[in-house]
Amino acid sequence: MNDYLLDIENLQVQYVTDDGTVSAVNGIDIKLQKGKTLGLVGETGAGKTTTAMSILRLVPHPPGKIIGGTIRLDDTDIFNISEKEMERMRGNIVSMIFQDPMTALNPVITVGDQIAEAIMIHQKLNQEKANKKAEEMLELVGIPGNRRNDYPHQFSGGMKQRVIIAIALSCSPKLLIADEPTTALDVTIQAQVLELMKELKTKYEMSMILITHDLGVVAEVCDDVAIMYAGRIVEKGSLQDIFLTTKHPYTEGLFNSIPNIDNRKAELKPIKGLMSDPYNLPTGCSFADRCDYVMPICREKSPQKIFFSENHYTECHLYATDIDFKLGRHQE
Amino acid sequence: MSEILLEVKNLKKYFDTPKGKLHAVDDVNFSIEKGKTLGIVGESGCGKSTTGRVILRLLEATGGEVLYKGRNILSIDKNEMRELRKEMQIIFQDPFSSLDPRMSVSQIIEEPIKLNKLIVNKEDRYNRVLELMDLVGLSRRLINTYPHELDGGRRQRIGIARALALNTEFIVCDEPVSALDVSIQAQILNLMKSLQKQLGLTYIFITHDLSVVNHFSDDIAVMYLGKIVEKAPSEELFTHPVHPYTQALLSAIPRPSLDKRSEKIILKGEITSPINPKANCRFSNRCNYAEDICRETEPSLKEISPGHFVACHLFDGSK
Repeated sequence: MNDYLLDIENLQVQYVTDDGTVSAVNGIDIKLQKGKTLGLVGETGAGKTTTAMSILRLVPHPPGKIIGGTIRLDDTDIFNISEKEMERMRGNIVSMIFQDPMTALNPVITVGDQIAEAIMIHQKLNQEKANKKAEEMLELVGIPGNRRNDYPHQFSGGMKQRVIIAIALSCSPKLLIADEPTTALDVTIQAQVLELMKELKTKYEMSMILITHDLGVVAEVCDDVAIMYAGRIVEKGSLQDIFLTTKHPYTEGLFNSIPNIDNRKAELKPIKGLMSDPYNLPTGCSFADRCDYVMPICREKSPQKIFFSENHYTECHLYATDIDFKLGRHQE
Repeated sequence: MSEILLEVKNLKKYFDTPKGKLHAVDDVNFSIEKGKTLGIVGESGCGKSTTGRVILRLLEATGGEVLYKGRNILSIDKNEMRELRKEMQIIFQDPFSSLDPRMSVSQIIEEPIKLNKLIVNKEDRYNRVLELMDLVGLSRRLINTYPHELDGGRRQRIGIARALALNTEFIVCDEPVSALDVSIQAQILNLMKSLQKQLGLTYIFITHDLSVVNHFSDDIAVMYLGKIVEKAPSEELFTHPVHPYTQALLSAIPRPSLDKRSEKIILKGEITSPINPKANCRFSNRCNYAEDICRETEPSLKEISPGHFVACHLFDGSK
């Protein structure tokens, strides 16, 4: 028996282009329990969205190619089912909220019809019942039901994102993947949408993967956090593990790069340099060139997972020899 | 002692739309001392970018005055304005679309120097470009590359180098780090801070990101629908926000820490239309404290403690 809703093992995804091969995801493992929220954090190009697309089996092919690993979703090995079966899973078992609410909706179809479409396909309801359900979904996300005959351009950004959430939730999926759901929104609207998502998550006992680069949002919503860098999960643990006992130098660097809102005198300590070229990842640890703690071994061998507790691990050589090694951030 | 570099008085910018007049900037007043940074924060559509553009006359104002070194630049002619542009520059938000893709790094940085005939000798100009690249931390080997070969952080450095190419004293920074990843964002913020110290620059820093503005600015003005609703030194604004909108805005910031779980003030509804606004408090329909007076008359900006201004009927003594 498997009590994980989602179980990703050693997932590897590449994009083969004329300029070379991009290793976007390089062997990641994610286990997610029912009702839990995982934050997937990292910068542009870390492989967050590619990971999400793999779970939906929507990695564009070509150029994208899943070259290894397995994904079990709700006890189904999704790489071993037909496209038809996969279609049935999308929407019903797993659905996704995309980053940009301005482009994710069809401009020439009313929002009500866009919500009803998903319901008709997946729940086999007739138009009339689907329309009714669409209206309920709109009410659920805080939009008056009588606006279902309006077109997307008649809604503001925050409301469009609510419509997208309504579509994603219309078939009560077990897993919701939200790719930067609030990045395009203003803070006061972001607060409204995050509140709504938290509420709905509890109501439907949904699991959620929240992709974001904003550690503030993570602190608000997530139970577990995975920090991604150059296609690997470099540190994973509970919210407390990541925020209070940070282990990986990259995680530390992320925290030190954010202006501290409660102490404006604190100096920013940026991570030096840039993310390594995904066409040509270095041997050893991908973060070595930007790391303040780099050792000779980091450039030779890829680090292995080192566990601090059942749930908290990091991939870093610093702890291979000395498990009690302390990063600068916590000596202050 | 402190010398006022820029003063904005009753600045207005209205746009004509089919539905009526859109009040993008409506009667805005502030001043900035030399070498200081004024942060302007607000949500999309509050008029913060328009304010920056009107000050530089990239858009013509509908009314009001912009006094730069005591001179109203809204009334000077084209040639005088061209002279002034050598001192007043802008850094744009998106380093992906603000650089000409067909020009190399050296051409981009050189262009303003060449156009303004600041350095006529070609070799001297080349050396000045190298100097500027060093100043903003761009490696010299990139001099002949094109923008598409560079990442966002480096492109933003080019934008900064170009803004500094003349005798720049004053820069409007319009969301300069919003398009960048956090680790790169910190690099650029640190660079802009050290340049300010080194060259005595004065900034207007326009952003929607409150933690960045707090870190970066001496004073902060909060805008809502074309109006400044509160203005105070950064420390004061963040510790004692008094306007209900500022309070909601500050509480809405997701904080990257596990302690300090303060209660969020969730605002009802969304920003209303800035077209033909009524003469009342523009925040009144979303405000938790709104009373009849708020819906009927417009509050004016009043000083409630030294340097701390707020436009809200709760504080204007009528209550």
